[in-house]
Amino acid sequence: MSRNLKLSVSLAALVVLTLAGVFLWTAGRSVAEPVAPPATAAAASDAQAVREDSYVLGEPGTGGVTLVEFLDFECEGCRAAYPLVEQMRRDYDGRVTFVMRYFPLAGHFNAMNAVLAVEAAAQQSRFEDMYARMYATQASWGDQQVSHADTFRGLADDLGLDMAAYDKALADPASRARVEKDVADGLGLGVQGTPTFFLNDRQLQPTSEEDLRASIDAALAAAPAS
Amino acid sequence: MSATQTPSPATSDAEGALTAGEPARVLLVTGLLGLAAAFALTVEKIALLRDPAYLPICNVNALLSCTSVMTSPQAEAFGFPNPLLGLVGFSVLTATGAALLAGAKLRAWFWTGLQIGLTAAFVFMHWLIIQSVFDIGALCPYCLLVWAATAPAFWYTTLRNLRALARSRSHPSLERAVRVLSEVHAVPLTIWYLTVLVIIAITFWDEALSLTR
Repeated sequence: MSRNLKLSVSLAALVVLTLAGVFLWTAGRSVAEPVAPPATAAAASDAQAVREDSYVLGEPGTGGVTLVEFLDFECEGCRAAYPLVEQMRRDYDGRVTFVMRYFPLAGHFNAMNAVLAVEAAAQQSRFEDMYARMYATQASWGDQQVSHADTFRGLADDLGLDMAAYDKALADPASRARVEKDVADGLGLGVQGTPTFFLNDRQLQPTSEEDLRASIDAALAAAPAS
Repeated sequence: MSATQTPSPATSDAEGALTAGEPARVLLVTGLLGLAAAFALTVEKIALLRDPAYLPICNVNALLSCTSVMTSPQAEAFGFPNPLLGLVGFSVLTATGAALLAGAKLRAWFWTGLQIGLTAAFVFMHWLIIQSVFDIGALCPYCLLVWAATAPAFWYTTLRNLRALARSRSHPSLERAVRVLSEVHAVPLTIWYLTVLVIIAITFWDEALSLTR
């Protein structure tokens, strides 16, 4: 082997192996560190899983049980959970109330844009339509470092929203304040990542569909019949 | 099949009378690589202009994302898409490499022109690297290929021209420096590659870590 080749290869091997080694070491150490929530948000001291004005999917149930999800539209786990939540809505229709709360993570470039777009749609009573659209299109805008505010505006236009009202809602600081109130509640309740579920006021960590179903069934059985 | 086989290219090399130290193969290979990348970028750019929702296949994750880079203002540094420069520049490199392999003798002014062009490309590329890593915060695989191809083309052309300069001016200390550099010619290039790699690794450390979860 020539001196040229020897020097180059050993130099490359040294640097690459060092990098790989340190990387694997840090990857092994920091286990499941959550993506940081918005730095500006402070935890609410009187945090509640559900507030008067929280968005309810469909009609509220009468079984005295509420399933709350803190979500981020750019989070793949949330999109993965979406069909499960839809399944639960069908299975527990009329008995369980499904509440969705915003928890856009700072690590997701378009999370806040997406949440504000949904909030603007919600102000025209179209929360659920926009919410479903976000997950349906997530693959085309998620995980990118450029603003997709225009993409979301296009989705709103497709839904036939009043676009003047939509633009006004986006510019209105009250929309952002409303999102931050959700985030503050989440932080106060100890939400660290998304999706995070609460059954009534208790945080759930469902490991499977059966697990979630069992928790809901138990809560329904324990709830005072109304 | 075996009846039509031509003799191994080793024999044609000798008759091509390739002057030792001319960066013929380097220019041909890096020219073709860069050309392929610039071509792919141009095609993706056109597709993206037609349909803003278009998803280039090079969007792998948050880190490796063509869309982030291609839709940035830096992607049109001179008012038109950068890959147009690549299409022209890498074609010149490819043709020059092929001509040298075919036994062409190029006069000094041609080498001077090539040096000026490659130096401009090398400087512009560093600006693009800085923008991509520190401003846009994403890497596009085709752009990485362009960077990887431009550096050896620049380095081996520079080394060749320094050698010619030292010979024509009979400059002993320059000659000595060129001789040492020629002996370990791949080392500066390796250091450059590793420097870029380390900068990327340090900058995107946390993102890469979050991708492993």
